[in-house]
Parts: sequence; structure tokens; C-alpha cells
Amino acid sequence: MDAIQSIKAAASHLTPEIVLLIGGSLVMSASVFQRKREREDVHSDRSMYAASALVCLLLAMLASFWRGVPQLSPDAFGLFRFDATALASERLTFLGGLILILMSWSTAPKGRMAEYYGALLIILAAIPIVGASNDLVSLFLGLELVSIPTYVLLGIVKSDNTGLEAALKYFMLSAFASCFFLLGISYLYGFCGSTNLMVIQAGFGEGKRLMALGLLLAMCGLAFRITAVPFHFYAPDVFEGTSVTLAGAMSYLPKVAGFVALIRLIGAGNLSQGASSVIIPVLLVCAALTMCIGNVLAVAQNNLRRMMAYSSVAHTGYLLLAFVALIRQDANANVLFSYLAAYAAMTLGMFACLGEIEAAGGKSHLIGDLAGMFYRRPAASIGLTVALVSLIGLPLTAGFWAKFMVFVGVVADRRVDSISLIMGVLMAFNAVIAAGYYWRVLSTLYSKSVSNVPLRVFRPSLFVAYTICTVLTILWFFVPASM
Amino acid sequence: MNILIPLLVLVPFAAALVIFSSGARAKAMVAFGVLAAFLTLLLSIGLVVQVHQAPLIENASGSIAPRVEFAPEALRIALPVSVGGQAIQWRLLFGADGISSLMVLLTGIVGFFTVWLASYQITNRTATYIGLLLASISMLMGVFLAMDLLSFYLFFEAVLIPLILLIQGWGNGEAPAASARRFLLFTLAGSIPMVIGLISLATSPVRYGHESTVSLPALSEIAATAMAGSTAVTSHDSWTVWLLLLGFGIKLAILPLHTWLPTTYAAAHPNTTSLVASVVAKLGLYGILRIVIPLTPAALSYEAQMVIGTLGAIVIVYGAMIALTKDNLRHVLAYSSLSHVGFITLGMMSMTKEGLGGAALQMFNHGLITAAMFWILSMLEERRGPISLASEDRGMASQYPKLAVLLVFFTLAGAGLPGLNGFVGELLTMSGMMRVCGTLVAIAVLGTVLGAWYGLKIVQRLLFGSNGQTVDLHNHPKGAMDLTQREWLPLVVVAFLCLYIGLFPMRTMKLFQPDTDRLATWVEPVSKQAHPKMDVLASNSGAQ
Repeated sequence: MDAIQSIKAAASHLTPEIVLLIGGSLVMSASVFQRKREREDVHSDRSMYAASALVCLLLAMLASFWRGVPQLSPDAFGLFRFDATALASERLTFLGGLILILMSWSTAPKGRMAEYYGALLIILAAIPIVGASNDLVSLFLGLELVSIPTYVLLGIVKSDNTGLEAALKYFMLSAFASCFFLLGISYLYGFCGSTNLMVIQAGFGEGKRLMALGLLLAMCGLAFRITAVPFHFYAPDVFEGTSVTLAGAMSYLPKVAGFVALIRLIGAGNLSQGASSVIIPVLLVCAALTMCIGNVLAVAQNNLRRMMAYSSVAHTGYLLLAFVALIRQDANANVLFSYLAAYAAMTLGMFACLGEIEAAGGKSHLIGDLAGMFYRRPAASIGLTVALVSLIGLPLTAGFWAKFMVFVGVVADRRVDSISLIMGVLMAFNAVIAAGYYWRVLSTLYSKSVSNVPLRVFRPSLFVAYTICTVLTILWFFVPASM
Repeated sequence: MNILIPLLVLVPFAAALVIFSSGARAKAMVAFGVLAAFLTLLLSIGLVVQVHQAPLIENASGSIAPRVEFAPEALRIALPVSVGGQAIQWRLLFGADGISSLMVLLTGIVGFFTVWLASYQITNRTATYIGLLLASISMLMGVFLAMDLLSFYLFFEAVLIPLILLIQGWGNGEAPAASARRFLLFTLAGSIPMVIGLISLATSPVRYGHESTVSLPALSEIAATAMAGSTAVTSHDSWTVWLLLLGFGIKLAILPLHTWLPTTYAAAHPNTTSLVASVVAKLGLYGILRIVIPLTPAALSYEAQMVIGTLGAIVIVYGAMIALTKDNLRHVLAYSSLSHVGFITLGMMSMTKEGLGGAALQMFNHGLITAAMFWILSMLEERRGPISLASEDRGMASQYPKLAVLLVFFTLAGAGLPGLNGFVGELLTMSGMMRVCGTLVAIAVLGTVLGAWYGLKIVQRLLFGSNGQTVDLHNHPKGAMDLTQREWLPLVVVAFLCLYIGLFPMRTMKLFQPDTDRLATWVEPVSKQAHPKMDVLASNSGAQ
């Protein structure tokens, strides 16, 4: 197949992403024309930008619906590959994007709405590109296309000190992580003589230590995106220093991008004995540390945002265990994708409920700020309750299946010694620790102390956002196959 | 395909949903809730009758053989995880044998009367309270009717959600919020690691060339064939059995893991506690009887049988001694419940016919007696506020003669008076253990003596003394009233059941004895193999 044809095929498959990219660019440039007019009516601006972003996303969804399920392309040597992973990453992104745009409707920063929605749409376009990439170049470009709009977003939503700190910290560390990634993939290229991921993965079989080093360096770069220990330090500061919607976005979108990139880079069952004897222990140690440090530090927090940041770190640990199971071919990638879907529903649902307080002029930074919320905003409290029960992982919520599948993937492996069993038990005890701090939030909602939660502001977009999350969380428990 | 089984789970759950969504019309919903609980009780009686009439499965190839089943093809769970190279497709299965139908009956009886009493004992958000009670009854029914590991675990975990809300939201004792949190964390600390044990049980058939399955009858068959081959215990097996015992042990409050129990019982409303103590605390025991003993007999008997048995014997004495020192009646009853559960543990860990049969019977008996004691406690607290045994001069017998008679009756039933149900169960569990380890029985007997002691202490300090006229009652409007009809009905019904079982134990045993006997015939040889010196009595009598 010649180059033109392969570009044509890729373009037709990437229609939804192209729609999003064009839409994002248009929305962003709209601000140039907007500036000239005297702006008094903030609300109509709000609705206009949010609606146009929503229309872009819906158009992209329609495009992906019309395109249908792409055939597995036999051509493995192009820049892109369209398989189940590409599709799943697209679906996960659209799910998160829909909820995030609805949440932004009432939480986007007043002066910079065009840039805000433009950057958000470009991130949403970039993650499926990461998911579809079949080449180091497209993988790296996709990842950078996620990062750069993120810097913009973090920079514009808040102009106080914490906001600037968050933006700067994220920018510096993310650039640093990208350097790691580049160094790693340059080793891979040097070793295999090709930037094509299929060729590189076929080269894993020759299993030299150098190969493992390259992979490890690249994984360091990705570990930053998924907030794995020891690359997690930015998370609490960034979560604290940004808007509630972006905190939700930061806990979810980079995770999807990072894990999809990991799946693309390593794949299932490609590692040789030599390479996996280096990489799997590293991943297991990293997963164990990520779970334990995330959960233990979350227990100590009174600040809700910081707690959610550490909880997001802890969930990365569970996901890394699922990823190890994937490498060993005990689980397929759907375990990761289902977990991420459930995570989207519960975490974004939680942030949407908090957004309702913020949009009404209240505070949701400290756990104590939520005291007695149930008696003032029952609908949001029920949404929050479902999200928290799901985060604990109790039945009747999607979070149960998410954890359960990871457990099965980890424990079912009977080939190796009891290491995987111990990892499972470790994860179980981590889930118990996590239940402690989630329960603290949950019981605060229903406490009968004096409540500072504001009354009487109803935001339809936020209500729709957390209703979608709550319904999905409960629905996915009864129909786990649809996750 | 038995239709009662799904109804038993769905009726109370649907009723709970209706109550939660009723909103402003909540007052009228109280009667609706009581009605739904009554319907559940009728359904559970119907199930017992059906199980009783169903033909016995004579030559089952495993130790678990449900007599009535509900297993539609559609109940399947497909997970994107592969075990031994095969994608997981688990079929869910519900059913009942004698043991589970007995527990269903217990849940039906205790559940209905708890809802009945709650309808006027709970004055604050009554309908919501009853809705949560119904939801927990539904989940409990689910646990007892599950015939596969997955739905067992699902219901086992799900029962936590309504319970924790009941304890936190309506607790009127010491620090309900902290106790609710402790209850949650303790239970999860057992049950989340337990899921790993359950998964490794579900995937164990892969070792013998079968597909992984969660169905209990199928797993028990595989365990039986595995036992016929070799009883060597791998490290994987011992991990499995200890993880399971951790989960179930915390639920049944085995000795070092019991500290959630007194705080929870002291914090929750006695009405909630009656359901927790009589049914929820049985979940751990039921899990051991249903999952640990039939599915991992070798690992259990080689590694854990004597450890858990000893802990059971110690907890009998420990619980009784602490109960003696406590003054708050809630604490006394909590520790006495702890102590009595020790007998059931002891019976199970004997892994003999008598022991297992006695344990199953005693689970039912103890459920009835404990529920009745906590009901009485709730009635007393309604009349007098918190009940302390510190002052000796109560004289309640002259004020509340009906209540006094029933309190004496249930105290004696709990202490194991011959002719009442507690005696039969405890005797059987002890005679089962006697064939394994006489020392443990000697310790346990000590516990019965102490049990009679604190039982009599309760009776003496509360009921007798002065004529009771000295007590200042003006803070308690109901303080001078004896039992109303609504109050004595549940107690009298349960008292008759206790008397009936005490007088005709064999009629009750007939329901589940084939099942416990079948279980014993599979597991007793393994346990004997693990403890070659056991059955001292049998070998002695053979020598003479």
C-alpha cells in the first residue's frame, strides 16, 4: 500500500478527531473576534461557547458512529493502527469529554472561555490519536498534543498564586517527563532501527538489557501522566490550585492518555523473558508504592482536593496491577478500559457534585465544607454518595466490578509464585484504607452540624452531568459487559 | 425453577425502593413496610415447606446439593479476564438446602418482628428506617440463597450499605458515627481480602483441567475428587483458607478480631442490633459452613481447624467473663452473644456429624434468643432509659410481670436449660467436639457455668429487689406500662418456637440433617487424617 492510500485510510478513520481539532481551533480563534465587542452578558457567552464545544463533541461522536467499527487494518506499518484499543480510547475520551463540557458550562473562567473550550477540545482530539498511534512519532505527538493544551488550561482558569503554582509546576515537570520519554524512545529506535511500534515490539523478543532500559525510561515519562509514584508530587498541588472541573479532568484525561500509551508501547505478551524479568518487577514495585503512598497520604488530608489527588494516585496503583496482568496475558485490555470507564463515572460524578457547590458560590475545598450537605442539596448529595460508594468499591456500583476484575486478573495467574497473590492482598488492604477516608467524606454529608453549603442555585448542566455519572455507575453494576 | 427464591430477595428490596421514593407520603409507608416484611416471612415459611417436601438427593457427588434451585440461563457474568487461557463466563446459581432454608426462616422471622417493633419504637424518620431494614433483609436473603461464590460475595458486601446507614443514622448509644466507621472498616478489612480467597477458589478447577466456575455444587464436587486423590496442602491453598477465615472470622467476631462487636452493639439502636446480632453475625458462620468447610476441607483441617476451634473455646469463656464485669446491659448482651457464638464455632470446627448438625441448629437457636433479648432491651430502654445493672434495686418484676416472665424465659434458654432450644444446640456442638478434643469441651463447659451466672445476675438485678415503687419515672411516660399487645406478640411467638425446638429437636433437625450429614461424610475423613489422635472416645470404647 502506498503512502497516499495509507494517509487517506488514516484520515477517514480519524474523522472524529479531525472534527474535534478543527472545532477546537475555531472556538479558540473566536476570541479574537469577540474581543472587539463590549461584553456585558456573561451568561450568553457562557452558553454560546459551551454549546459550540458540545456541538463539536457531538459532531465527532456522530462521525465516529457513521464510521462504524473500523476493520482491523492489515497494514501495520503506517503511523496509525485502528483496533479495539483505538476504539476504546476514543469512547473513554468522549465519555469524559461530554461530562467535562457539561461541568464547564457553569464553571469555566469568565474572561477566557474561548481559549478554555478550544484547549479542552484539542485534548479530547489528542487522546484518541495516542490510542490509534502505531509509531513512536505519532505517539509522542499525540502525547504532546494532550500536554500543551493542558498547560494553557491550568494557566487560564485561576490567576491567583495557587493557580500559577499549579500551572508552573505542571509545566516544568511535564516537560521533564517528556524528556524522559524522548530519551527512552530514542534508545528503542536506536535498538530496533525503526520507529514503528510493531517492529519494535517484534524486537522485544531479542531481549537485551538495553531494550529494557529504553522501555523503562519511556515508562518514566508515562508514569508522570498517570501520576504513578515517584512521579506523583505535582498532583495534590495541581488539584488544589485549579478549578473543580479541571481537577476532574486532570484526574481522568491524562490517565487515559498514559495508560493507552503504555498499552500501545508494550502491548500484551510481547515481552521476552529477559525484558519482562526487568520490567515486571519494576512495575509491581511501582504499583505497590503507588497504592500504598496514595492511600496513606490521602488518609491524612483534610483538604478534599488533595485527598482526591492522592486517591487518584491510589487508583493508578490498581490500574498498574491490571496492566501487569495485561502484559502477562491474564487479562485483556478491557479490564483497564472498564476500570477507566468506571473511574470516569465515579470521579467526574464526584467533581460535578462539588461543582454544584462551587457554582453556587460555596466552598468545597475542605471536607468540613460539605457538612450537612444532604439537608441542603439532596440531589447532589445522592450523586456524591453513589460516587463515594463506588470509589470504596461496594456492590451496586460500577466500582465493585472495576476492582473485582483487577483482583481476578492479578490472582488468577497461577504460573508464578505467590507474589501476585501478595499483590492482590496488598491491594485489598489498600482498598480498606481507602474506604476509611471515603467514608469520612460520606458521613460528613449527613452530619447534622451547621451547614455552610449554599442553597437555591440550580445548574441544569451540572445536574445533567452528575445524573449521567450516577446512572452509569449504577447501570454498569447490573450490566458489567457494557462498561 | 423455584419462584420463591427470587421473590424472597426481590419483595423486600422492591418494598424498600418504594419506601425510599415515597417522599412526603412516608408516614403511610410504615404500614406498607410491615406488610412487606410479613409477606417476606410468609415466603420464607413457604420455602422451608418446599425444601422439606423436596426429595432428598441421595447420591450427590459433592457435599453441597441444593434441593430447590433457581438458575435461569440468563444469569451469567462475562468478564474480560482470562483464567488458564479461557475467558471467564460464570453462571450464577441460587438455591436452598436444609441449612440455607433454616437461615432464610430465621431472617424472615427476626426481620418481620424487627420491622414490626420498629414501626413504633423508632420515632424519627420511621419509614426510611424500615426501608433500610427491608433492604438489609433482602441482601441477607440473597446471601443465604446464593449457591455460587460471586452472588454470595455480592450480597455479603451489599448488606453493609444499609446496615451502616442504620447504625450511623439511628444509633442512640455511645458514639454512633465512630462505631459505624469502625464496623465498616473492620468488615471491609475482612471481606475485601476475602475476595482473593474466593477468586482463587473459583479458579482452582483449572488445576484439574476444568473450566473455572463459581457454582458451589460444582466446586464441592471438584473438592471431593481432589480429596480422593491427595490431601497435600499447597501454599496457595493455605493462603486461600486463611483469607477466607479472615473475612468470615471478622464477621463472626472471632477472638482477636472481635473488637468491632461491643462498640457496634452499644452504639446502634437495640432494634437494629437485634437484626445485626441474630442474623448478620451469622453470616460469618454460615460462610464457614457453606464455603470453607465443603470447599477447602484439607487446608482447613491441616492448618486451621484446631486454631479456630481453640479460639472458639476461648471466646466462650472470655465473652462470658467480660459479660460478668459489665454494667451496661447493652455491653452484657453483646459479650454474651460473643460467648454463645463460640459454641457454634466449636461445633463447626469439630467437623463431625454431631458438631455440624448442632452448629446449624444452634445458629437458628442463637438467632432467636439473641433477637428476643435485644427486643426486650429495646422495650426496657423505652421505659427506663439506658439500663445499667449497677444498682441492685430495680424490682421490675412487680411493675412489668409479663416482661419479667419472658425475660426469665429467654435468659434460661440462653443459659442452656434442658427443655429449651439452647440446650440441644450447645449439647450437640460439644458432643461433636468431644470426639476431636476433650480439652476444648472442658473449657467450653466452664463457659456455660459463667453464662448461667451472668444470666441470673441480669434477672436478679433487674427484676427483683424492692417493689420498684422507689424509682422516679416521670421522665419516662411509658415507664409504668407492662408489655402492650404489640410488644408481647413477637416475644411470645419466638418463645413458643424456642420451647418447640427444645422439646422436639429431631423434628427441626430433620430439615437440615441430611445436608450436614452429607457434609460430614465428606469432610470427617480428612479431618481424621489430619488429627490421627482424634475420636478418643470411639477408640476407647472399642478397646474395652
